[in-house]
Amino acid sequence: MTFRLEVLISGFGGQGVVLAGRALGLAAVHGGLESTMLVSHGTETRGGYVRSQVVISDEEIDSPVVEKADIFLALSQAAYDRFKHLAKNGLTLYESDLVVAKEDLTRQLAIPARKLAIEELGTELAANMIAMGQIARHLDVMPFAALQKAVAELSKRGAETNLAALGLGFNLELV
Amino acid sequence: MDGLFQKYLRPKKIPSTACSGCGLGQVHKRVLLAIDGLGLGVQDVIWGTGIGCAGRQTFNAWKGDNFAGTHGRVYALAAGLRMALPKEKKIVLTVGDGDAFGIGLKHLLHCARRNLDMTVIVADNFGYQSTGGQFGLTTPPGAVTDSSPYGLSETGWLGPDLDVLEILKAAGATFLARHLSLDGKPSVDNLKLALLNPGFSLVHFIFPCVTHFGAVSLAERDKPLILSWFKSVFNPAYGQDRGESFQKLKDRINPGFLKLKRGLYHDASGSRPDYSELLKAWTDTFRPDRAAPKEPGRAGSGEGAEP
Amino acid sequence: MKTVFDTGNAAITEAAILAGLKFYSGYPITPATEIAENMSRRLPMAGGYYLQAEDETAAFHMAIGASLGGLRAMTSTSGPGYVLYADPYGWAIGSEIPVVILNAQRVGPVSGITGAPGQGEFYLSRYPTHGGNFETIVLAPDGVKEAFEMTIQAFRLSERFRTPVTILADQLVTDGWEAFQIPQDSYELEALGLPLPKRAVHWGPDFYPRSDDIDIPPVVLGRGTGGACSDWTPTEEGYDTEEIEAQMKHSYRLIYKIRNNRKLIDRSLLTGMEDDPPVVMVSYGSPSRVVRRAVKAARALGIRVGAISLKSLWPFQDDLFDQNRIHLVVELNHDGQLVREVQRASGGRVHFLGRCGELPTVTELLEIVRALFGGGRPRGIKNVREAW
Repeated sequence: MTFRLEVLISGFGGQGVVLAGRALGLAAVHGGLESTMLVSHGTETRGGYVRSQVVISDEEIDSPVVEKADIFLALSQAAYDRFKHLAKNGLTLYESDLVVAKEDLTRQLAIPARKLAIEELGTELAANMIAMGQIARHLDVMPFAALQKAVAELSKRGAETNLAALGLGFNLELV
Repeated sequence: MDGLFQKYLRPKKIPSTACSGCGLGQVHKRVLLAIDGLGLGVQDVIWGTGIGCAGRQTFNAWKGDNFAGTHGRVYALAAGLRMALPKEKKIVLTVGDGDAFGIGLKHLLHCARRNLDMTVIVADNFGYQSTGGQFGLTTPPGAVTDSSPYGLSETGWLGPDLDVLEILKAAGATFLARHLSLDGKPSVDNLKLALLNPGFSLVHFIFPCVTHFGAVSLAERDKPLILSWFKSVFNPAYGQDRGESFQKLKDRINPGFLKLKRGLYHDASGSRPDYSELLKAWTDTFRPDRAAPKEPGRAGSGEGAEP
Repeated sequence: MKTVFDTGNAAITEAAILAGLKFYSGYPITPATEIAENMSRRLPMAGGYYLQAEDETAAFHMAIGASLGGLRAMTSTSGPGYVLYADPYGWAIGSEIPVVILNAQRVGPVSGITGAPGQGEFYLSRYPTHGGNFETIVLAPDGVKEAFEMTIQAFRLSERFRTPVTILADQLVTDGWEAFQIPQDSYELEALGLPLPKRAVHWGPDFYPRSDDIDIPPVVLGRGTGGACSDWTPTEEGYDTEEIEAQMKHSYRLIYKIRNNRKLIDRSLLTGMEDDPPVVMVSYGSPSRVVRRAVKAARALGIRVGAISLKSLWPFQDDLFDQNRIHLVVELNHDGQLVREVQRASGGRVHFLGRCGELPTVTELLEIVRALFGGGRPRGIKNVREAW
């Protein structure tokens, strides 16, 4: 039984959108899977965004484009508004500090990643890893340890904080 | 002289196809004399050429290895070649004024900036003569040419207040000299110094074009008179006694317009390294790492990827 | 083997180094800058030289100069630099010097949109210089994995054919990320079917063979061979000549060494073509991956559609096309370049979907394919038109 998992991560510059995507892609490699990622940037002006489209599969990946996201992580209002239609059948996680959700999505969860990062870890920078931990909670295609290993490898400094954030997000029960 | 040509040139290229009365052959000969004087063999020099009279006439005349670049690009070719050659091998480039000071000037300046070991011989016939005689970057002001029928109105790289060699010096060239093709031993001596400089050298040779510059700009067919005019370029007093017909030439174009210094212009040989040798030495310091390519996984964009 | 998750830029760098690259020259340009950056960091570790040129014309000339001296050489750029390659490109073709060129295509014309993918140099890569009388070799990777492998192939073809080879990528290929394997030694390379290119010195006096033979070493200067090469039409010994006869022999060689040995170059991937489907999508580069996904989706719905993904672009593979099929050409430009060639090669009905700056979606491809089945003319769908 083959699978194809599409993850869309989007926010504004500086939120670690690309690093999050890289961690996921590398985790897939550690899990023995195939992965691709496309990175794109919207305009720098109002409404700008950074977007990582990650595809993970146990077979050769054809299109690297996320057209039907299984998981969509929205870290900004602009990202939420622009891409939520791609996740109609998937799960949307949105940063509760920065996004006002619309009611038209079937499955969506607010995640207070930024708030938790500041309160628990003393740095806003760990918010993306808290969100990644939460994403891992909804993934059954690879072990959490694969993501932990990837994050440790990609963290030039602050690996400890990042791993703590990852764990925090993973154990977070959202309603 | 025949012995010199036979030693260094390919029989197929002797004599050259230059116009009768052209000064290019003299320039070529001076370079060979300098090479011979230094005891260099055909294996020691790789000879490159540009486009135009100077390039076409000298291409593949050298008995050793040869290359010719498209117009103005031979310096960039030589820059890449320099990285591949051991430092004992010399690169000699024979090019024209349009090639060096017009279309190729940017590349030439960057070779000077890096002080890449090469000797550039600019054989300057005051314009684009192989295309029929248009003005160039060294054509005297006021000169009538096929593309300045009313007299040249713009300023080139040579003039009372401007000298292209000054630009090259500022760019970092470590050896510069200027001669007339008729100059004998002094020019050969400077060519030897140029070849010995382990860096960027350029020798600017002004040589007479009788076919276009002589016939159109000086409006003269008499070759000895044209030669005399060229002699007076560096020596305005020259030819005082040569009578009215010569004075007419001097009135047409004042040979003193240049106020150029003859002979050695700038000698800073060995004052700073040739970048190609620096780069080779620096790369060698990585040697222990050669066997095992480092972490290819880190080759990517890294964190800088975000705006 | 080592598996990594990295960009096309990184894959190309690592592959070139594995192929024996010893000289890279380039000029910064989005989206090919990261290849230059990677080269500047990685090449010294492999004993190679990184030279940042004053412009793209110089960059390519420097690469040729290094190759002339016997070093394996490469340069990379995007469209605005690729046009500046015209001058040295012709030189390398004429003097038969191996150099690998990477073009990360972006949206144009001129500077266009720097960071958005385009496919505007399809024909430019066939005619990258003036004067005619030559063929070019152009490969087109569809992603990071293929960029890795094709870079090594490009070096090999470049050596074997004594000619510059263009890898015509696009921004999504070079900036895109993908898991790929890096062989750790030549044994692992061969296991991937990627034997390393070899370099030998051509000894004179005949430097320019009058035949379509390949696997002839190129002219190398500085080894005392008496080698000569230039921008002029050469005699066999490398003298410049104005003999028409020599020009004809030279042209024959430059054209037919490639045409007559094209089996070594031709590459394509056929998807869903087994049952001879009536509608076939044609593409190259990153759009071809979306196209293949669309074929899968269509097949799941019982729609008989196939896809031809071109992996080598020039010489063009006319044999792949058939006048009895309906072709839909998908490419990242609005003017339609590949579509002209497909129309010429097939002689049949050809439609065109042009997108610019972003990939088409599976959804829209399915809509067009359905329209083609349901009566044939996909009028009214945005960006789709019949070929001329």
